[in-house]
Amino acid sequence: MPAIVLDSEKIKDSVKRIMEYGGTGVLKCVQCGACSAVCPGVKAGFPVLCRLLIKKLLEGQFEELVEETSTWGCQACNRCTEVCPQGVRPQEVVFAYRRYQASELAFSSSATTSQMNLFATGHAVFTEAGPLREKVGLPAKAPTSAYDDKAQKEIQTLLTESPMGELGLF
Amino acid sequence: MAKVGVYVCHCGSNIAGVIDVEAVRASAETLPDVAVARKDLFMCSDSGQEMIKQDIRDGLVDKVVVAACTPRTHEPIFRGALQAGGLNKYLFEMANIRDQDSWVHAQDPEGATQKAKMLVASAVGKAARLHPLEDKYVDVTKAALVIGGGVAGIFSALELAKMGFKTYLVEKEPSIGGVMAMLDKTFPTNDCSACILTPVMVEAGNHPNIELLTYSEVEDVEGYIGNFNVKVRRKQAYVDWTKCTGCGACAEKCPSKTPDEFNMGLSNRKAAYIHFPQAVPKKAVVDMAHCKSCGGRELGTEPKISEKTGKPILAPCEKACPADAIDRSLKWDPAGVIKEIKVGTIVVATGFQVMDKGWFKEMAPDNKNVITALQMERLISATGPTGGKLLRPSDNQKPHTLTFVSCVGSRDEKHHTYCSRVCCMYMIKQARLIKEKYPDLNIYMHFIDVRSPGKDYDEYYTGARRMGINILRGKVGGLEVLPGDNLRVLAYDLDAGAPVEYESDLVVLATAMELPPTAKKLAQTLGLQFCGSNFFKELHPKLGPVETATEGIFLAGCCQGPKDIPDTVSQAKGAAAAAAVPLCQGRVKIEPIISEVQTEKCSGCGICVPLCPYDAISLKPYAEKPRAIIDITQCKGCGVCTAACPSAAIVLHGYEEDQIFAQIAALTA
Repeated sequence: MPAIVLDSEKIKDSVKRIMEYGGTGVLKCVQCGACSAVCPGVKAGFPVLCRLLIKKLLEGQFEELVEETSTWGCQACNRCTEVCPQGVRPQEVVFAYRRYQASELAFSSSATTSQMNLFATGHAVFTEAGPLREKVGLPAKAPTSAYDDKAQKEIQTLLTESPMGELGLF
Repeated sequence: MAKVGVYVCHCGSNIAGVIDVEAVRASAETLPDVAVARKDLFMCSDSGQEMIKQDIRDGLVDKVVVAACTPRTHEPIFRGALQAGGLNKYLFEMANIRDQDSWVHAQDPEGATQKAKMLVASAVGKAARLHPLEDKYVDVTKAALVIGGGVAGIFSALELAKMGFKTYLVEKEPSIGGVMAMLDKTFPTNDCSACILTPVMVEAGNHPNIELLTYSEVEDVEGYIGNFNVKVRRKQAYVDWTKCTGCGACAEKCPSKTPDEFNMGLSNRKAAYIHFPQAVPKKAVVDMAHCKSCGGRELGTEPKISEKTGKPILAPCEKACPADAIDRSLKWDPAGVIKEIKVGTIVVATGFQVMDKGWFKEMAPDNKNVITALQMERLISATGPTGGKLLRPSDNQKPHTLTFVSCVGSRDEKHHTYCSRVCCMYMIKQARLIKEKYPDLNIYMHFIDVRSPGKDYDEYYTGARRMGINILRGKVGGLEVLPGDNLRVLAYDLDAGAPVEYESDLVVLATAMELPPTAKKLAQTLGLQFCGSNFFKELHPKLGPVETATEGIFLAGCCQGPKDIPDTVSQAKGAAAAAAVPLCQGRVKIEPIISEVQTEKCSGCGICVPLCPYDAISLKPYAEKPRAIIDITQCKGCGVCTAACPSAAIVLHGYEEDQIFAQIAALTA
């Protein structure tokens, strides 16, 4: 592993940018690791989440991490936020870094698919459950945007008008 | 006309780095009443003080203004200079151009200089109108009170007693000893806690100058430094302690059980019980909340007479007592007995509590095999519930894998942001003691980082690593309950950058130290303040570590903040020394900057009486009419009565009306 060259300007820039993207708690982190202890993503083999992601950002590695795939392993369970003793809200930091990665079009294919699902149906993950629902006495079509042209149109307008629209996915 | 001398201090660069000192001096020179205006690099230095003294001796000045730092630290120095020069020391006024000017307006030197000129003008306006005042003295009651009979209180009481002062030691439990009496061994020497504490407890119990008031609490404190009147309520023990020999026969026969506080609830005690085997005093109490009044022996009733034997039917405790110390026929007063004592100074050493594990939902608090560190102390203590054998609470089996979790509630903004200071070390101690006894046991210790500053402490910690105790950096995220009451530890190894998971059969939580909720009432009674960490606040974090804002009341031990035994004993001895000072002097000074009623102007309306926050004012007959009178020992010079008096009959010396108006005029000129 190449040595990390500590550069105060780079560190300042890294902290400033992650905070601008929404990771406002990074400077509160004391690197205790409680977040990573409970993180299902870390457990599943995405090491650069929570504690380690914050550490690398605090060492100025903002741009170096752009191709890092670990961040997309976050399942948004928010357990990190629950156990954090310093109020860092690690999940917000992960999401903030993802925003940067997305703006650089550096995200995993799994992420692309769910964005496109969201655009099409209003759900990032959607499975057709008609027969199953009928079996338990529910109407086949759930009252969601998936079966509602008007709602889908609204969602598509919102997405197109949002920063995500600029990514050219849809 | 007054001859005011103005002395402007540079305070090195503290003031001169921002404020144009020469401009302030020159401006002072032009003010009315100012005779001389000078400056110096450090006015508090010998040469600075000499300048003031010489001007007084030369007859140039008869009032003094020093424009420098804060009167809190430096007023006594300059008052001393006035006195040495031959002037009444209260003809002095200080303008704080450092804390309230140069430090806060560092970005605006011009504005700061202008403000300094105004502050000096204001001080000159007041100084020109000051009158000489005289200190008053009151005699001191040569006795001391120590509240709390833990290791801090015991040492404070012993020091005071050895200096020759009558000392009352109040403890709420039946015995002195506190938390230290509950500990197994102590770091970093592995001394047996009871073995080193018991002789000191006995010494305190036997010292002719110490009066132990155990099973008692301070109910009320009135008065002031030198003369406190204290009411101590002794809880009802329902055992005549003059007869009780501490044999424990009553406890043996008592059928009623309740969780034992001394064993942190890991075992039961009886309703009639002795606090612990080495208790001082070793006396029994009957805890009425858990007493079943066996045999229908309600308190205060005569026993029934047995039809068979014709003898009275006694309760088991009564029957068992060979000294006849328990008599349930007596009408015991459940409120206990109030004892009134008079003391000159008070040392507060009320200690701490550890947080309950119930606060930490992520740490499986309902599982019996998750225990607090203080429970672990009892579990490995020879006087504990298992006689010193390490058995886990759920099934009384020997554990194979033991986990220590640090910083539970400490260094956590959801609970306490401070470090509890002793957890790293006592966890290492417990791990070492257990590893010595059971070398096959796996021990995993999880720290955010290991804090071991102290004499021989780091060697003790590195020794633990050499003994094969596994130390991991990284805070434990949570515990999950597994079948068989085992626990899955969800941890993280910071150094490997990887999550860690394993099964453990006993988990120790180092829960934070904090003040018990009862501390609030005591704080109200004594006028103590709390610090940001919610412990009792000392007068100054560095230079007044045992004093409080209330004169004559001192702090020792963990009620002032978490600390280990060596630090506690040091502070306890320090507090005793500080508390002995007024007792040695025999009298205490009362500053004359207090209020006084001009009786001939007083209408006797009594408005001032309820307004006084110190209960210093009462109405007394004067020429057959009620007139307000202020007790100089109670008055703190706050000025509330002076401002409220509709007849302008109350003077606050040192803050008289014309002095304050002159200040306002100078500031608004």
